Amino acid sequence: MTVLTPERAASVPAPAGSGAPARGRRGRGRAGLVLVAPFALLLTATVLVPIGYALYLSLFTDRLSGLGFSGPTQAFVALGNYAGVLTDSAFHASLGNVALFVVVHIPIMLGLALLLALLIDSAVVRLRRLWSLAVFLPYAVPTVITGLIWAYLYSPGSGLTALLPIDPLGKTGILPSIVNIATWQWVGYNMIIFYTALQAVPRDVLEAARADGAGGFRTAWSVKVPMIRPTMFVALVFTVIGSLQLFTEPLVLRGFTGSVTSTWSPSLYVYEAAFIANDYGRAAAASVLLALVSALLSALVMRLSNRRSR
Amino acid sequence: MTLRESAGLNRRKFLSATAGLAAGGLLGGCASTTTASGATRVRIWSWLTGMDKYVAGFNAAHPDISVELNVIATGLKGGYAQQTNALRAHNAPDILHAEYQGLPQLLTTGGLRDLTGDLADLEGGYSPAAWAGVRPGGRTWAVPMDLAPMVLYYRKDLFDRHGIAVPRTWDEFRAAAQAVKQADPAARVTTFPLNDGSFFAGMCWQAGEPWWRVDGGSWRVDISGEGTLRTADYWQGMIRDGLVATAPTGDQDWIGAMHTGRLWGLLGASWSVGSLVKSIPQDKNRWAVTTMPTWDGVPANGVQGGSAFAVSAESKVPDAAVKFLRWLSTDPAVAKIGTTFTTPFPGYLPSRDVARKAYKGGYFLGDPVYDVLDEAARRVPDWTWGPNALRIFSTVVDRMSGVKTGSATLATAVRQTQADAVTALRERGLTVLEGKA
Repeated sequence: MTVLTPERAASVPAPAGSGAPARGRRGRGRAGLVLVAPFALLLTATVLVPIGYALYLSLFTDRLSGLGFSGPTQAFVALGNYAGVLTDSAFHASLGNVALFVVVHIPIMLGLALLLALLIDSAVVRLRRLWSLAVFLPYAVPTVITGLIWAYLYSPGSGLTALLPIDPLGKTGILPSIVNIATWQWVGYNMIIFYTALQAVPRDVLEAARADGAGGFRTAWSVKVPMIRPTMFVALVFTVIGSLQLFTEPLVLRGFTGSVTSTWSPSLYVYEAAFIANDYGRAAAASVLLALVSALLSALVMRLSNRRSR
Repeated sequence: MTLRESAGLNRRKFLSATAGLAAGGLLGGCASTTTASGATRVRIWSWLTGMDKYVAGFNAAHPDISVELNVIATGLKGGYAQQTNALRAHNAPDILHAEYQGLPQLLTTGGLRDLTGDLADLEGGYSPAAWAGVRPGGRTWAVPMDLAPMVLYYRKDLFDRHGIAVPRTWDEFRAAAQAVKQADPAARVTTFPLNDGSFFAGMCWQAGEPWWRVDGGSWRVDISGEGTLRTADYWQGMIRDGLVATAPTGDQDWIGAMHTGRLWGLLGASWSVGSLVKSIPQDKNRWAVTTMPTWDGVPANGVQGGSAFAVSAESKVPDAAVKFLRWLSTDPAVAKIGTTFTTPFPGYLPSRDVARKAYKGGYFLGDPVYDVLDEAARRVPDWTWGPNALRIFSTVVDRMSGVKTGSATLATAVRQTQADAVTALRERGLTVLEGKA
C-alpha cells in the first residue's frame, strides 16, 4: 500500500482551492461532470443496472400451474430464493469444491510464480527472455482451448494416464486435475507481475544486503520478498476472486467425465440454475451470494495486507 | 472555452448518433416483417446440420417468403438457453428448434403457438412416435422433422469370425459381451456412456414405462419404476463385471476404439449411421445394423433425439412460418436435399421412402439399413417427455458419477433422480403425482 500513499496525498488538496471564484468552481464542476459522464454512463449501464436487475430477480420466482404450458407467473418470495440456495446441499458441495481448490491452487500457483520470478530476477537464468515467454505463453491460450488440451491429455488414450497413480478424470483425481490446469495457465501471468515488482526494488538496497554478507537466498527471502509484499497481496486478491469464479475448466471437463457434476463450482451452479433448470430467481440469488463472498474475502485480504505492510 | 464547448457538442452529437444507430439497428431487426423485395420475412433459429441447405432450397422455390436462418449452439450447449431467454424477453424468432425431449421444457415459457388446427390434416402421415412427440398434453405444439429410433450396430466381421450370434435378447447380449471379452481381453461389446443422460433415458424408454405421464391436469413422474430399475440393474451388472466400457461416445478415443476393434458394437440411434460413415469411413463392410435386443422377446426399443420445430406465439407471420415448416417436414425435396450430405430418417413416412430410395448403401453388411430403422421405428412404445426432461439428463449424470468407482449404483442413482425430479417440479408450483398410475 505504500505505493498508493503519495498519489492519494497529492490528490487530496487539489479540489480544496479555497481562493477560487465561485463561477470558476461551477464551470470546473460542469467540466468534471462532462468528463465523468462517459464512465458513469457505462458503469450504470453495464454494472449497476445488471446488479440491480439481479437483486430484483432474486426476490421473485416463476410459478407454473397445470401442466405448465400456459407459462409462468412471477411470484414475490422475498428472501425465499436465498434461503433455498443456502440450504441446498448442491450449493454447499460446490462451495466445498471451490474452497478446496483455493486452498490447494493458490499456494502452489503463487509460490511457483514467486520462485520463478526470483530465479529470473537473479543472475541464475541466462535465457531470461525466452524463459519468461515460455512460462507466460499458457496465459495467452483461451481457457476453453486450455481445457480441451488437458482433457485430451487426461483421457485414457493419451498415455499420460498410464504414468499417473490415479485416474485424472476420476472422482478423486478431478480436483488435482483442475488445479493443474489453472496453475499451468496462471503461473506465467503472476510471475510477470512479481518480476516487474522485483525490477522496482532499489538496486542500492540489494547492494547493501550483499555488502552485509547476505547470499542469494538470504537476499531473496529477507529483502526482495518483503519489498514486493504489496504486489503479492494484490495478486492474491485477484487470484482468490478468480478462483471463486471457477467455471470454464470444469465445464469443459464435464464433457469428458461424469466426475464433474452440473453444480461442481458455484459458477456452474448458477449456470445450471439459470440455463438448464430455467430457475432465474435461484440463479440470481446464488450469484448475489457468490458476489458477496468474493467482496468479503477481498476485503479481508486487503485488510490483512494493510496490517502486514504497516 | 469555445473549443471545449464544440468538443463537448461533438461528443454529444457522436453519442446521440451512436445511440440512434444502435436503436435503429435493434428496431430494424425486430419490426420489419418484409424484405426489401416484398417477401415475407420468417426468422428461424436452429442447430440442425444442413438447415442452411434446406432454407436455401425453400427460398429458391418460394419467392414470396424469405426464410432467414440463424445458426445457434446445439441444444444443451446453449441453444435452449438462448431460445428460452428470447421467449422470456419477447424477442424470439418466428421459428424455434425443439427436440421432442426439449419441447415440454420450452413450453413452460408459455411462448409457443398452438399448432393443433394448422397441422390437423397431417396426423396420419407420421410415425406414431414422431407425432406423439410434438403433442405433449394432447395439443400439437411443433412440426416433426426426423425420428431417431435406437438400434444395435455391431462388427459383423468379428462376430462371424468368432461364431458369436447376433443377440436378440438382453440375456443373449450379456453372453455375447462375455464372448467378445473372451475372444479379445482388450475388447468390449459396447460402451454404456455414464455421462449421457439422453442415452440412458433412451435405454429406459424400451422398458415401456414412461418417466412422465399426463394424469388429468397434472404430471405423474415415474423415473424409478420397475422397468427403469430392471434396466439399471442389468447395466449395473454389466459394468460391475467389466463387460462394457463406460467412457463417452463420439470423441477421439471412442472413434479410435471403434476403428481398432476395441469396441465391437454401439447402442446407437438412426443418426449413428451418419456418425459411423463420417468418423470411420475406412471401416466399410465391417459393420451391420440390427434391432435392439429385447427384454423378453417382445419387440421394443427407445428413441434418442430427434428434432421438431415450433412457432413463437408472438410471431407476426405465423402463416408463412407454418407454410415453411409444412414444407420442411413433408416435402420430398427436403429428403432429397438431406441425402446429399447425410442419411436422413424423416418422421413423415412418404419422405422416408424418398430418403430410402436415394440411399446408396455400400457401407453396412447384413440387413438393409432403412429396413432395420423402419422396424425399429414401429417398435417404439409410448413415451412422454416432462417439463424438466433436459434438466433430468444432467441430474441423472450427476447421480451416476459414483457408479464407476462403486460409491453409487445405477439403481440408487435413478431413485435419487426420481426424488430430485419431483422436488424440482413441486418447487415450480406444479402438482406432481408419483409412481405408476
